[in-house]
Order: sequence, then structure tokens, then C-alpha cells
Amino acid sequence: MSEKKTVLIAEDEMAILDALSNKFKKAGFNVLRAGDGEEAYEIAVDKKPDLIMLDILMPKFDGITVMKKIRAEQTWGNKVPIIILTNLNDHESMMEAAENNAFFLVKTEWKLDDVVELANKKIAGL
Amino acid sequence: MNILKKIVFVFLLFVLSLVSVFVFLSDYEQVGEALVLFLAFLAFGVVYFSVKNLLAKNRDIALAIGEMAAGNLNKQIKIEKRDELSQIADSLNNLMERLKSGVAMDTSVSRELEQAKADFVSLASHQLRTPLSIVKWYSDYILCGDAGEINAEQKKYLGEIFKTNQRMIDLVNALLDVSRIDLGTFSIEPEPTDIIKKANEAVKKYESIIKLKKVIFEKNFEKMPLLNLDPRLILIVLENILSNAVKYTPDGGRVRFTIKKTDVNILIKVSDTGVGVSRELRSKMFSKMFRAADAKKMVAGGNGLGLYVAKAVIEKSGGKIWFESPSMEFFIEEGGKKAWKNLMKSGLGTTFFITIPLKGMKKRAGTKQLENIE
Repeated sequence: MSEKKTVLIAEDEMAILDALSNKFKKAGFNVLRAGDGEEAYEIAVDKKPDLIMLDILMPKFDGITVMKKIRAEQTWGNKVPIIILTNLNDHESMMEAAENNAFFLVKTEWKLDDVVELANKKIAGL
Repeated sequence: MNILKKIVFVFLLFVLSLVSVFVFLSDYEQVGEALVLFLAFLAFGVVYFSVKNLLAKNRDIALAIGEMAAGNLNKQIKIEKRDELSQIADSLNNLMERLKSGVAMDTSVSRELEQAKADFVSLASHQLRTPLSIVKWYSDYILCGDAGEINAEQKKYLGEIFKTNQRMIDLVNALLDVSRIDLGTFSIEPEPTDIIKKANEAVKKYESIIKLKKVIFEKNFEKMPLLNLDPRLILIVLENILSNAVKYTPDGGRVRFTIKKTDVNILIKVSDTGVGVSRELRSKMFSKMFRAADAKKMVAGGNGLGLYVAKAVIEKSGGKIWFESPSMEFFIEEGGKKAWKNLMKSGLGTTFFITIPLKGMKKRAGTKQLENIE
């Protein structure tokens, strides 16, 4: 019995948020959406999704900050798979992601199908 | 001897000659007269040539400053004796050297400039890539049939949109790499790497083009130990060199990819039977040139920055990169005349050589990593 997995997508660029949401819905996920870092954090701690995808450049809190705040949640936050979605590829962000056990994904390098495949792998613990 | 001393000396000599003239006028011996005249002429000569020399030096310095102000930093001033003017000339020469090497820039200005450049790279990175990733995903979504079935014509046109968008993504990546190389901010992080594995990865990227063009592709890999290389960078370099070989080889041509060890180096060779490198292009091969003008209609793609990036990466890691064209790689085995005829038909061929020290790439701290570029 495989239950529907929940994914939280935090992205302030509406077109990207829509594209990801639709793709994941079609792939059988339950999709939670957030348009800024604050909303993302609140939904995360409230709903505890199976996977969290965070854009770096967002209003209120940026993705790296949200990632750190989630990881600080000892009971659940430090285990949930996190994917950082971004179009930057500066060293500091990549290091921060690596240090917090988050996957660093540069949006222009990935097709949607591959993102879904990656999400499934991360949820399965791979 | 400094100028003051010179002037004093000249003056004394002048006074002496003046005195000599007076003595002369006061009725002395013939010898005295001759001596006095001689001294007078001597003093005059010294004054004349000293002033001329001083004026000439002044003029030289004035000219040099004029040229510097106009931007020409190559006119060094000749210094003869050691005096204040020579010191001025010396300092000017030094200043020109420093200006040429960029060290003499106002450090606060250059820091601002560095920051501005870094900001531009960040901005371009994000601002350009955002719409590119949107087009990528939306066209991909339709192409996959997620928005409903599409007919063949729709598939064709959308496919072209997707492919072209990918070219723009690759170009942005390349531009970002170039600005990072120019800024000197890219990092080299060596780790134990299987270079053959990376080579195979690089080849895989061009598999479809190789098949399409019916290129005869040979791999000649020696067994290699794990080497201290930055895996991302070595992949970028190999991809860039292979990209050129495959793109500029005509249909049915040959490409040979060799990796072997020498005593102190890893030697990588990529040879092709392609158009070769013309004389005009020879000096521009590793520059930020956009695609060879004499490349006949070839598979679209590429942006001419690959070799620039490859050279920067290899040289900063402690290696060397060069090419030879015409290439002798296939000539010898195909045997004389036949080979020459073949080569002349398709082109003169090119072989790219890369050496990396066996001890590995030099580690380099930096703030950015390079992208994978076409």
C-alpha cells in the first residue's frame, strides 16, 4: 500500500511554481505551495511533508535560511529530504546545502521528469 | 652628480673663464693668454652642452608623460647619468610598468570594480536563467504529452524551441565561466578521480552526433590509476575538446581519443580528420572567438568559448594544452599518398594535446565553480 506522498514547493516565480506543481500532481503527489520563505517554513513545520523543495531567492526568508531553520527542528526537520532549487551556483550556497544534507539543483540543468525521479529517490532515502 | 652640483660646477667654470678674460685683458704672457682663451672656450662648451643635455632630458620626459597620458605605456625613457632628472625618468619608467601590469590602479577603485563584476555574474546567473528554465520546463511539459497529445508538426516545432533554448542555457553557462575565469574566482578542487570514467562520460555526450555523422570514433585508453583531478573541470575540458573534434570533422571522418601516461604526465590526445586550423585562426584558437568562420555547415551548437575555458582550466591546474594542424595522427598508418589525398579531401586534421602532471591538478581556492558548458 503506497500512500500519496506530500511535497512542499517554495518558489516565488509563479510560472516555475505552477510548472512544478502540475508535474508533481500528475506524478501522483500531494502538492503544497508556498510563495515566500516565511510561508514555506510555516507549512513545513505544520504539515511535515515527505519532501521539501526550496528556491534560494525568495521574499521574507531565503531558501538557505528556511533550510537551516527546518534542519534545526530536531525531531523531524533534520531528517526530511530537502532539495534546493536555484539558478545561482555560487560556492557558498552549494557548501551550505551540502553541510545541511540538502540536494543542490540548478534549474536550467534539469528536465521536469528528472526532478520527479530525483524527488522519488530522495524520499526513498537514496 | 646632481643638477645643483652640475650648475655650480658650470658656474665656477664660467667665473673662471671670466676671470681668465680679465687676466687676459690685464696684459699677461702669451701662454697665459692662450690658456685663458682655451678655458673660456671650454667653459662655453661645457655650459652649452650641459644646458642642451638638460633641455633634451626635459623634452624626453615631457614627451614620455605626454604619451602616458594618451595611453601609450611602452615608451621607456633612456637614463644616462644619475641626477634628479634621471630619477624622474626612472620613476616614470616604473610607473609605466606598474600601470601596464594593472598594479598601479587605485586599490579602492579596483575593489569596487571586482565587486561590480562579481555582482554582474550573479545577476546574469539568476536573471537570465530564470526565464530560460521557464521555457525549458514549459516546452518540455508539452513535448512529454502532459498537456495532451501533440501531432508531429507540433512536436517538431516545440522540439526546436526546446533545443534552441538549451543553446541559450549553454551560452549563459559559458559566459558565466568566462567571467569567472577573467575574474580569477573559479576554484579547482582535486580529488581521486577515475579519468577514464570521465572520458567515457564525455564521449557519451556526443554519441548521438557521432552516430548521426557516421564518424569513426576510436578510444585508445591506457589503464590509469586514480588521479588527483577536479572531476567537474576535467569533464568540462574533455567535453570541450571532443566537441571541437566531432563538430569540425566531416561525415564519415575519423576521431581518435587517446589517454596515456608518460613518466611525469598524463597525456591526452584528440585527433580528427576535419577541416584543420587555418593560418589566420592559429593565433585565435584559444581566445574568446566565436566559432571558426571557415567551418562549413556543421552541426549547429557551440559558442567558441570552449577552448578559452579549457586553456584557462588546464593552465591554472599546472598542465599544458596545445594543438597541431595538419595532424600527423592518421597520416602514418594510412600510408603516404592515399592518406594525403584523403586528408586534402576532408581537411588537414587537427590534434589537440593536453598534459597534466601525474601528481594531479593544483588545488585552487575560489568562490565559484565552473558550469558544464558545450
